[in-house]
Amino acid sequence: MVTDQTIFLVTSAAMVFLGLGSMAYSRNLIKTIMSFQVLVFGVNLALFASSLEGQYSLISNSLVLFSILAGACVEAVGLAIVVSVYRKYGTLNPYEIRRLRN
Amino acid sequence: MSADFALFMSIVLLATAAVSLFSKRISVSLITLFYSSITLGMIFTIYNGVLVGLLHIVTFAGAVSVLLLTAILMVGEPKLDMNASLGAIATLSAVIVVVALAAYRLLGSVPTNVGPTTAYPATALLQFVWLFRPWDLLILLMVFASATIVVVNLFSQEEP
Repeated sequence: MVTDQTIFLVTSAAMVFLGLGSMAYSRNLIKTIMSFQVLVFGVNLALFASSLEGQYSLISNSLVLFSILAGACVEAVGLAIVVSVYRKYGTLNPYEIRRLRN
Repeated sequence: MSADFALFMSIVLLATAAVSLFSKRISVSLITLFYSSITLGMIFTIYNGVLVGLLHIVTFAGAVSVLLLTAILMVGEPKLDMNASLGAIATLSAVIVVVALAAYRLLGSVPTNVGPTTAYPATALLQFVWLFRPWDLLILLMVFASATIVVVNLFSQEEP
């Protein structure tokens, strides 16, 4: 019998690897931020699903709360860096930025 | 909740996340990422994590989406540089392999009669949809559709 926890854990694994893979080949810094957001979604879902059939739901919920706040802060700082990099170099391609820096 | 509901929400979550990562239009990417945030918040809320779900929706579907929209409007790129279809195919292939391995591993170790208590026993596929009030679903669909059309028009006016 397939339980909800199994389904959500498989979904979270898919989302984590989807985000990692998209971050690996992305040529745009905003798309990299979006990939990181999908990765954070996967991690949050895995943390939440780990307590669906157990008795540690409060610990799991507090970990998800911490992860949500940390992920939002990281994304806000990353977007600010992206905007400042675009103002300085005029592009969002990281390879182009590396070429312009040298 | 039944396993049908979890499967349905997982499929919606994965589909919106994949479309947001692999679409070439930035407006479609942003809208589907917003829907992905809403879907994950709904999952948290329905499975007894009301505080976590509401905070997730407020943070990601609200604040982070507005930040992304502001950054995209400041940068002003109508289309992303997404000429990496080979990378997308490789990523999707790797995800399929990993998910298959994880499902095989998890399904092999799950006991047969352990599961959450089902408040609404579903005997048919997607029967849980008809347990909700249909007018609420219709109003929600209208609000989401109108918001989608507004954002698409906002971005399409900037393109040359």
